[in-house]
Amino acid sequence: MSKYFFVQSQDPYTETRTGYQYQLMQSLHDAGHKVCVLLVQNGVSPARHAAQSPVFDKLLSSGVKILADEFSLRQREIASAALKSRVDLGSVDLVIDAMLSGNKVIWN
Amino acid sequence: MTETKTLTFAFMDPPFEHERTVTFFRLLDSALEHGANVRVFAYEGAVALSFAKQQPHGNAVHGRETEEEDHPMSREWVAAMQAKAIEKNLSFEWINCGLCVDERGVNEVIDGCGRGGPPDLWRYASEAFNTLTIGTR
Repeated sequence: MSKYFFVQSQDPYTETRTGYQYQLMQSLHDAGHKVCVLLVQNGVSPARHAAQSPVFDKLLSSGVKILADEFSLRQREIASAALKSRVDLGSVDLVIDAMLSGNKVIWN
Repeated sequence: MTETKTLTFAFMDPPFEHERTVTFFRLLDSALEHGANVRVFAYEGAVALSFAKQQPHGNAVHGRETEEEDHPMSREWVAAMQAKAIEKNLSFEWINCGLCVDERGVNEVIDGCGRGGPPDLWRYASEAFNTLTIGTR
């Protein structure tokens, strides 16, 4: 089992490839790998309660750990209370933690 | 005593263009805060991040002078990372892709930033504990 950490800066509303990126994350998870995703920049957009994104919601319900960068949320005035229930708060410190613990870290 | 790990970052975004640049520097800052040595390979537009002739400017539309506008300079952010590394007794290395530098005419870089090429990225990645490549797309 490998550990994958994705830094997800792209969002499904402006980058159609994002759906495929989500699929890769889910496939790795389904294959038994540990997968964690940190949403950064506009990547936090689909994490809002009101955001409509079936591909993101599918990933969210798959069991993949998903966090949203607090700095990116603040920049967009998205309160933590406005996030979907399975999205946790995080920061870029988690990226460095993952790198220092030998995760395969991938920037999208 | 725990061995200090080295992290390598490859970055290609130019200054003053995209939010990725801010996130990139946040990552560098965090790496130093975590006690890691840092190596950066800057290529394509990112070679201008350390360009010494970057100049701040005012904002006439908003009626602000240069000092008041306090326009962020990426060369100052690079210097801040260098200073932080020294303060923490860590290493912070920065190599710009020479071909990318020549294409853009940004040869004058701040102290502490070097010139190299793809073999340096290979060396950086091979020797690092881990590497993150931040692609523009």
